[in-house]
Amino acid sequence: MSSEIDFDEILSKYRSDPFDYVDVCATHTGVVRFRVKAGDAVEAPGGEWLQIPGTALYEITRERNPKLIAAQTNGTVSDIRTDLEGQFVEAGERLLTIRHPLKKKEIIENILKEVLYLFRAPERAKYYFALDVQSRIDKKGARAVTIDAGEEVLTMSLMKRDTPIYYSGERGVIHSVYFSPGVSVNQGDPLLGVCAPEKLPLIQKIITRVKADWDSE
Amino acid sequence: MAERGIPLAAGNGLAITAGDVGRELRLESLRRRESWKTEEAERILRYGAFVGSVVECHATLDRAMNRARSHITAMEQEGRSVHNGTVILADSLGSSRGRFDRAWHAPAGGLWGCLIHANTLLPQSRNLIPLGVGVACCEAVRETGIGAELRWVNDVLVDGRKVAGFLIESFFSPIHREEYNLIGFGVNVNNRRFPPELQDIALSLSQVLGRSIDLNRFALLFMAKLSFAFGLLYREEELHLRDEGGGDPGWHPMLRAWADLSGTIGRRVLFGFDVMKNPQYQATVTGLTESGGLILRLDDGHEKIEYCGEIRYL
Repeated sequence: MSSEIDFDEILSKYRSDPFDYVDVCATHTGVVRFRVKAGDAVEAPGGEWLQIPGTALYEITRERNPKLIAAQTNGTVSDIRTDLEGQFVEAGERLLTIRHPLKKKEIIENILKEVLYLFRAPERAKYYFALDVQSRIDKKGARAVTIDAGEEVLTMSLMKRDTPIYYSGERGVIHSVYFSPGVSVNQGDPLLGVCAPEKLPLIQKIITRVKADWDSE
Repeated sequence: MAERGIPLAAGNGLAITAGDVGRELRLESLRRRESWKTEEAERILRYGAFVGSVVECHATLDRAMNRARSHITAMEQEGRSVHNGTVILADSLGSSRGRFDRAWHAPAGGLWGCLIHANTLLPQSRNLIPLGVGVACCEAVRETGIGAELRWVNDVLVDGRKVAGFLIESFFSPIHREEYNLIGFGVNVNNRRFPPELQDIALSLSQVLGRSIDLNRFALLFMAKLSFAFGLLYREEELHLRDEGGGDPGWHPMLRAWADLSGTIGRRVLFGFDVMKNPQYQATVTGLTESGGLILRLDDGHEKIEYCGEIRYL
């Protein structure tokens, strides 16, 4: 993690283009039929339990088994591969891009994700802190808890099978927690943002600076 | 079931050998002939024959899962291999617990233990282990003549009260980082007294029958059912890898077995990741996904699929 950050450059980048560009890729092989067109507004899943699906983006059919794929984020369809309409695609093929407008909190999180060490989910599952780590967090707060490589930090729960998750990364304090107990995390999504204790002031500086800059507008 | 000759006399502590398990597997092969072709049942049982390859019987342990971890660690440190399918049993457990930080009451009279499974299953099969363990136990209980049923994922209930519970944890061996599934099991067999907080929700088999069950015989029966369950997972995996198709596409026979034993589908439930501490929402169960996830219809008509968490019937 660099201790020198060009705040002006980062902030000017987000000020000139305060959007995330989220690629939507084929979930598996199959024939694709789009349900949206360029410029359409799309919604993320909603409802108290996220039970209301997002806007349907495309249908993919494999072995006469059609599956409707919905948006996981809100925004606007900014680029769509209409040349793939009705075509057989491979898993992972980019089909469209959603331009997602960023809120201030998301901008801070995005900047922090560039400077924190991100410990990611090995599988799509639900996660909770290991009992020992949880008790340390309860006593002192997450940002006072230091974790080391090889330490059992989390438990991954899937179909009532619990798997200990060992931290692999630089020694540091748990600055950001990106999961909530009881909410599924996709494979590869960050679970924890970790930083060396001496870098905490820098992280705080980033947050303060972004808040101040955005509030002053 | 009792009329099939399961002795019902009470024993004094567990005393089981791997040879006893082998003999029970031959009986299981005969029992399965009602619903499986003989050669198919035997093939499945051969796949699952590792269950009970070694059986340790202890008078008491703190936790069977802890004994499994220390056994794996010690074997690795001695440069030896752990016998896949080792079963650790104890007449009673001193500090057993359930999921999260819940206590589990394990006095003498119950079947308490842990199965060590070296994880050689593909992820899609491994995810069905929790369902398979529940199926095995529910089948064993039904063989005693008790009308047990499964509640997702694998609670075994009789008259709405829990007679068995499972704890499945992965364990990575300290030196070679080999992955094991530690399958902890607890079945209320002959224990009749429960702490006050469990009295309304727990039940033992002997309470239902009004008499004691031979604990050794029940343990063997359960292990034979576990052999079949694991064998089914391995056999299906082989069929799919050889592209022979494993029964109906998308509907694993383990899911069919689970659905046949379960009263969950169609029930109104309360769902939560830790439903005791933090119940989340009410819904109606409409089915299972092909990977064992629970399909729930909320009151607004939308469906949600849950792959982890717990339910309680409303």
